[in-house]
Amino acid sequence: MATASTGGEATRNTGALRAVSDPWRCSWLLFALAGCTGTIGGLPAGDHGNTPGAGNDDAPSYGGSTGQSPVNPLGGAPSATAPAGMSNGGTGAGSIATSTAAFTCAAPSAPDPGPSPMSLLSRTQYVNTLQALFGTLPDLSDALGADTNYQTTFGLVQPDVDQVELGGFQAVAELVGAAAVNGAKLSTLVPCASGMDQRQCAQSFVQRFGALAYRTPVTDAADIARHMALYDTGAKVSHAHGIELVLRGMLESPRFLYRVEIGTTEKIGTSAVKLTPYELATRLAYVVWDSPPDDALVAAAAGGQLATKDQVASQLTRLLADARGKNFVNRFLEGLVQLSGVAGVVKDTTLYPQWSAAGSTLPASVTGQARAFFTDVLTKQGGKLDSLLTSDTVFVNSDLAPFYGTTASGSAFQPVTVSNGQASGMLTLPAFLALMAKPDQSWPIYRGKFVREALFCQDLPPPPPNIPKPPEVQAGVSTRERLAEHETNPSCSGCHSLMDPIGFGFEHYDAIGRYRTTDGNQPVDATGDVEGGTDVDGDFDGVVALAKKLASSEQVRQCVARQWFRFTTSRYEQGMDGCSMKSIVDAFETAGSSLNALPQALVASDAFLYRRPVDFKDSP
Amino acid sequence: MSSRPIDHRTTFSRRRLLSGLGALTVALTSPIWRPSTVFGKDGSTKPLRRFIGVFSANGTIASEFFPKGTASDTPLAPAMLGRILAPLAAHTSQMLVLKGVDMVSTVSDQLGSTTTKPGGPHMKGPGAMLTGGSLLAGSFSGAGGPAGYADRISVDQLIANRLGKGTAFPSLEFGARVSGGEPLNTISYRGANQPNPPIDDPVQMYTRLFSNGNLSTSQLAQLVADRKSVLDFVQSDIASLQPRLNAEDSARLDAHLTGIRSIEQQLTSATSVCTPPAKPSKYDGNDQATFEPICKVQMDMMLLAHVCGMTNVSTFMFANADSWQYFPFAGVDEEHHGLSHSSDDDSASVEKLVKINVWHGQQVNYMLDKLAATTESDGSNMLDNTLLLWGNELGVGNTHDYKNIPWLLAGGSSYFKMGRSLQFQDLPHNNLLVSVCNAMGFDDVTTFGIPGVCTGPLPGLTA
Repeated sequence: MATASTGGEATRNTGALRAVSDPWRCSWLLFALAGCTGTIGGLPAGDHGNTPGAGNDDAPSYGGSTGQSPVNPLGGAPSATAPAGMSNGGTGAGSIATSTAAFTCAAPSAPDPGPSPMSLLSRTQYVNTLQALFGTLPDLSDALGADTNYQTTFGLVQPDVDQVELGGFQAVAELVGAAAVNGAKLSTLVPCASGMDQRQCAQSFVQRFGALAYRTPVTDAADIARHMALYDTGAKVSHAHGIELVLRGMLESPRFLYRVEIGTTEKIGTSAVKLTPYELATRLAYVVWDSPPDDALVAAAAGGQLATKDQVASQLTRLLADARGKNFVNRFLEGLVQLSGVAGVVKDTTLYPQWSAAGSTLPASVTGQARAFFTDVLTKQGGKLDSLLTSDTVFVNSDLAPFYGTTASGSAFQPVTVSNGQASGMLTLPAFLALMAKPDQSWPIYRGKFVREALFCQDLPPPPPNIPKPPEVQAGVSTRERLAEHETNPSCSGCHSLMDPIGFGFEHYDAIGRYRTTDGNQPVDATGDVEGGTDVDGDFDGVVALAKKLASSEQVRQCVARQWFRFTTSRYEQGMDGCSMKSIVDAFETAGSSLNALPQALVASDAFLYRRPVDFKDSP
Repeated sequence: MSSRPIDHRTTFSRRRLLSGLGALTVALTSPIWRPSTVFGKDGSTKPLRRFIGVFSANGTIASEFFPKGTASDTPLAPAMLGRILAPLAAHTSQMLVLKGVDMVSTVSDQLGSTTTKPGGPHMKGPGAMLTGGSLLAGSFSGAGGPAGYADRISVDQLIANRLGKGTAFPSLEFGARVSGGEPLNTISYRGANQPNPPIDDPVQMYTRLFSNGNLSTSQLAQLVADRKSVLDFVQSDIASLQPRLNAEDSARLDAHLTGIRSIEQQLTSATSVCTPPAKPSKYDGNDQATFEPICKVQMDMMLLAHVCGMTNVSTFMFANADSWQYFPFAGVDEEHHGLSHSSDDDSASVEKLVKINVWHGQQVNYMLDKLAATTESDGSNMLDNTLLLWGNELGVGNTHDYKNIPWLLAGGSSYFKMGRSLQFQDLPHNNLLVSVCNAMGFDDVTTFGIPGVCTGPLPGLTA
């Protein structure tokens, strides 16, 4: 950086998390690989460059980000933070780290909930919160622009708020504030019987509405006075304007924009304090609903009805039954397959006109199909992980029926059973397969990488710089053949043997997820191999066989629990999370690997119920 | 698009604009640029008061970007330009083409030794291009490997911190088809883990820049007063909250506060003053053919923001790094990133990549043309007061080579001796960023980005 003063520069690395003392490190099974050193030729286009959707504004990602060192001692360790000597840095050689050790809870009576950094409301949460406060909203799209939040980025720790976001919050506060006091709406928002002192009415409003906006009671006299000072400024114009300014202040306050937690002074051991009941209610509501607490939840908090695990569990049951809660696990599964990225997926206009033609409904249809499938798994198939991976139930509408050699009319979905071995749950969803492909061809590397990262929770090392030139792409040669050099060239095979042989199992599915029997004028060869690092290593033929392996893997089950933790807590599991992770994994296992058990398992965990004391010091 | 001309001399009013929401619903027009006068500037400002950073993706075709010849210092003549820079022929006397300047910080530790850094090859470039740094650890896996955002401030933001004080926007980040939180999508950083992702939606950018243009003077005065009151309240709210938070959360609010102060600056700055252009229409973000008109509208707004004195610093991203954009309007209806991995022997594909890069050259030339056609209030030429830096995430796409990035400096400078093609022996681009700071008048900047990588300004650039 410049020697000169650099103004707003920040050098801190928000939330950098340490892994030095994690108890699982020594149990990692590390596979040092030859790596793709880039010294010898041979790599077909693009596999080092991107991930599906990356060119389309919605690059998917599985892990924490930005400011959070992706320390993942329970699972894989990204090479950037892998222990010295294990990532063989400098040569670009790769290693993969994974663990088959069970989670252990060393000190159940001294819980450590781990870090829980303050987070800005997601776009969905922000809009839902405004709706809960005001009902109908004016059009906010021009003020907010596209949603740049990554719903699919599990474990995401946010970067600091930027200028554009702040400008958007200001613009929205002005739009919403003006609309809320417009005409007759004012008296609904701020009831003030004739003869009542308007300032008195405003003060009642500050306390009543502030409690909703800030998700905690507003009782501090100085706090109320600050709000009233803002009211008084606006009231020089009119009572309505005073209220409008108060609203704008509230909607631009960090207490509204962030989920602020401070906790109580009630310590449990040295590393945890209880949350205030309002903070716990807010956690519940935003995690489960993506919305603020409703009246019943606030009442439970106020009435001391969120004090025990049982009380929290019973509130969760109520939330899950609500329309807003029915989607909770669905959202997790949609994130896992990066479903929101489908809308931005580009396909070759010549090869896949049905996808890329103007007005094509296919991207929307494959998205709807995936949603229908997830709902079916969760509500009709017992939520079993096995069903998620191996179910032969497929949902079709007029766009998708041709994929399965059947017919259907209309855009609504109906279930059909595909018993010819061409369907295997989530893994053969066209939405997923189209995301994990190139615009013009299937791409086994993406598909294999997905299985390694998303289902085995293994992190592959980043590819090295200066990849040699790729071999010629020839017409009439199958994708599999074109990737053959990855097997024969030792500089490639180290990394690619982890991905390609798994991805080859998907070769029956083209770039938009249609089943095919030939590729490059040759019969499809979908034989594959899980080569190393898992509890289900070995050969297989086709996705159905691969899915059976995955469904039987203890490692995959544990990984799903990890992904759930990352999705719901917005951070990676770490060394201090042994008790939290063990309780989640145990509950998942006890329920026969039912995904429907995950919500209750989460809210019973230390990471959810507590937070670290404000003055907590991480041991170096 | 309509071609109704806007003559700045006649249509710029003295009305003060504030960012926010307005109700302008004029149909789309694109301003035709004519010699015009910048308002809101006093004539005594130093030269090089503006910086524009431009990014394009997936590497270049070196043989058509770099002028022919191997001499280390060659005067630049239009006839020497390869096809990619040929569209800029009219500006050769105000250009420096730099060869042999590598983005070595993408693979260097703090001491400058080569090491493994987070992020896939396409991810590393945008994070390093203007920062001279590298990506933090993180788990965005969007382009081949886990990484976070960049680890330090970018040069445009250092410039904005110093030259942006009197303008409504210290800096503005434009782009086309790049929005989203990914290190692929950002070249501008306020600091570590503080990305400034570009706005790629023309309507959103328009809203940010040109709203409230329909308010009367008294209405505007009320708006300014109200915003000031609300922002004062927010600041006091943060002050009362911070002592109760842990250090990490408190630091996040510091960043929030910095942003609030920047918004306040919009209230007090001498926002000049243009009649807003017509509001752009909504584009179908997934229609590949709309890329060109989106770029045009965005470039027009960026240049207008400079002309109108709303900012002195901006960046423009022609799509994200690792772009999958198609270029049917340039005769290439194929996907850019895939093409960029074609073999050097695949002459048909190389020709397509040249066409894509020529198109980008045309866009950069459009910016230079418009800047050159604008006269500042002191009579000086706007291009003479501007430094434009065009870079890329890679040198060559098919090898992911971070060496030989296609760098172009353009604009005026009494500091640089322009009109030359220079060839270096693998010097770090950190040195280029130091030279940029020096050219902007920041003599105190002697190193930029990773200290162990930087060895001072690039030699031989100055007059």
